Amino acid sequence: MSTPSGIVYLLDDEPELVKALSRLLRGRQFDVRGFTSVQAFLRAYRPQDTACLVLDVTMPELNGLELQRQLTHQGILIPIIFLTAHGDVPMSVRAIKAGATDFLIKPVDAAVLVPAVRAALRAAEARRRTIAETAALAARLATLTPREREVMEHVVSGKLNKQIAADLGTGEQNIKLHRAHVMQKMGVESLADLVRAAERLGIGKRDADPQPCGGPGSRD
Amino acid sequence: MSWATILWSMSAAVSLTLGAIHFVVWMHDRNAWANLLFATMALSMAIFGGIDLLMMRAETVARYTLLHIWAHVPLFAAITSLLGFILFYFRTGRAWLAWTVIGMRVVVLVVDFTIVPTVNYRAITGLLPVPFLGETVSVPAAVLSPWSKFAEGSGLLLLLFIGDASVSLWRKGNANERRRAMVVGGSVSLFVAIAVVNAFRIHSGAVHGPYLVSLLFLLIVLAMGYELSRDVIRAARVADDLRESTESMGLAADAAQVAFWRWDIHRDVVWVSPNGRQLYGIPPGEVVRLQVFLDTVHPDDRETTRQVVLSSLEGDGLFRAEYRVVLPGGEVRWMGARGKVEFNGHRQPLLMRGVSIDITERKQAEAELAQRWTELAHLSRVNTMSELSGSLAHELHQPLGIILSNTQAAQDLVAQDLASSAEMSEILSDIVAADRRAGEIIQRLRAPLKRGEAVFSPLSLNEVIEDVLRLSRAELIARGVTLDQDLARDLPQATGDPVQLQQVVLNLVLNAADAMHGNAPSARRLHLTTARHGGMLRTSVRDEGSGLPADIDRLFEPFYTTKHHGLGMGLAICRSIIAAHQGRLWAEPHPAGGAVFHFELPVAGPRAPS
Repeated sequence: MSTPSGIVYLLDDEPELVKALSRLLRGRQFDVRGFTSVQAFLRAYRPQDTACLVLDVTMPELNGLELQRQLTHQGILIPIIFLTAHGDVPMSVRAIKAGATDFLIKPVDAAVLVPAVRAALRAAEARRRTIAETAALAARLATLTPREREVMEHVVSGKLNKQIAADLGTGEQNIKLHRAHVMQKMGVESLADLVRAAERLGIGKRDADPQPCGGPGSRD
Repeated sequence: MSWATILWSMSAAVSLTLGAIHFVVWMHDRNAWANLLFATMALSMAIFGGIDLLMMRAETVARYTLLHIWAHVPLFAAITSLLGFILFYFRTGRAWLAWTVIGMRVVVLVVDFTIVPTVNYRAITGLLPVPFLGETVSVPAAVLSPWSKFAEGSGLLLLLFIGDASVSLWRKGNANERRRAMVVGGSVSLFVAIAVVNAFRIHSGAVHGPYLVSLLFLLIVLAMGYELSRDVIRAARVADDLRESTESMGLAADAAQVAFWRWDIHRDVVWVSPNGRQLYGIPPGEVVRLQVFLDTVHPDDRETTRQVVLSSLEGDGLFRAEYRVVLPGGEVRWMGARGKVEFNGHRQPLLMRGVSIDITERKQAEAELAQRWTELAHLSRVNTMSELSGSLAHELHQPLGIILSNTQAAQDLVAQDLASSAEMSEILSDIVAADRRAGEIIQRLRAPLKRGEAVFSPLSLNEVIEDVLRLSRAELIARGVTLDQDLARDLPQATGDPVQLQQVVLNLVLNAADAMHGNAPSARRLHLTTARHGGMLRTSVRDEGSGLPADIDRLFEPFYTTKHHGLGMGLAICRSIIAAHQGRLWAEPHPAGGAVFHFELPVAGPRAPS
């Protein structure tokens, strides 16, 4: 299995453990950055990188779950693998609900940790790609004329050309033309693709949240 | 033989017999001066009686005169003895009166031997035959001397002295002394009064007859005989009571397993009651000396016991010791002994008397109680440690994780043939370090879980606290408690059992953490301070929690708990641990909210066991 690219951040108050885990993961060709304090990690972290975080739950200055909450709050959506000595079910449920990728019990075996890190990095990559695609779509959306945008909104809501023409007070031919432009400008080939793109951009939904918290499917 | 001879001899014999008895009493008790003086008086009166008898039989004036002169010598002795007797026997009477009488009698005696013919007569012209008890006796035909009045005056003064002494005794005395004042004082007064009156009548020529003084003395003999018989009866009763109480004492001693003993220190001989010999396993005939006693003591207690004995001889004279005795059969019994030393005027110890009790059962009960207590303390420790088990597992998993990851990293390097010896050596030394750390954690765990009795030694309180903090660090982190510690530097040592003191500190720390369970994570601060307060070292554990119940002392009662888990024994045991360390443990609300638990331990003294 190939090693996905990306940075593995290690954060544990125990320097010896950071050192040992770094050694292990580096041996498995991961790009590892180890930290023993939250501040040092936050200084080094760059949001644009594909990365995951291996985080100790129990740290003296800041509880791991608390850090997770703060990162989410700041819009930092990094996949997190928690390490804990307590196999505490309520705590792991809370962590997973808050978007943790994994919850591993110390001492953690390489056979468990390495696949978990791989999965986290893949998730990060997927998320990065999704964000990039959304950004590209948004750029395409920006090229639509107001009329084309109106037509698109009607199309994705499942209306027929005839209905749209009636709604907008114009001819059916006109709508067909706008529709072709929309398909072309949005770079989609089928109605289904257009609907997906619109969904991703939050078009057709009133209370749209453009970046849903805790990416769906981040756990499999 | 004539009646006079019989009467006079009998009276003398009775006087001498009673006198002899009192003399024997004095021989046994050299301080009984009253008895000696009575004996002297009786002897004097017997002699006087003999002279009196001879005077009655005198055939010439010269012989009568000579006897008359000498009769004053036993009379002087009798009066002097009587004065002394009253002073000692009654412990009343005016000494100056007694001395005046003696002075007058000395004058009488001197005059008697210097003036011719005697102090009483200016001249004795002849002897008159007078009938007396059916025979004829001699009485003088004489001219009275003026000195005679002086001699009679001394008699009156003597009477005054006796009367005064008797009245004083009657006034101040108890029933027994009142009777003595009545019987002895009365008879002596009567004797003296009759003797004086009789002498006056003879001298004045009113009657012609013998002096009769020695016969009258029988009055006093009778009174003293009565007193003696009472004394004998009382002594018999006392002896009876004594035997009774000795027997009861012996019974009580046997029943209570109490041994009596008395150690003559100078001769080094110990008298031990028969049951005492049994208690100590000393055969009946053996002479007991200090060393014989010490030989019965268990070798481990022997030297200490010897020191206690010797120091009681030098100190306040109080002896108190508990030691084991090994009986001939090999059985070991605990004995408790108490004694008191008697010193002479120069503070030299003369003897020590005391009792010993078999306290084996008490000692066994004490040992059993101590055992129970130790078990309870251990149980409570195990219980507390179980609260820490989660965080301790975390702590132990840390080095295990380090070892595992390092080992797997090394395996990877070896599998890929990339292992440089420098890197391998670094990995291995990291593994060794983590392994040591795991060992230390287990070591720290082992001490509190170990069963065993307390071992007191000088220790650093701060070190005890730091050990506890190492043990509970992970737990406090897991509970989101922040520690704020202020341990005084250069704190002197305390004396104690490190495991038990750790138990106390750990209990207080975990209680404080529990008390802040409901607080926001930022308000879970635990303050730990040590400081010196005079001769005491104070440790304070403060929380910012929900505070204390209204009745603070209930916290320290067994089975009182505010927690869902826990035995409710923690603080009760902590308090008894601190009490066993001569310290105290208490709680109070903190002005800023929350509670503070303090405990104080005395600074280790110079005589602390090392």
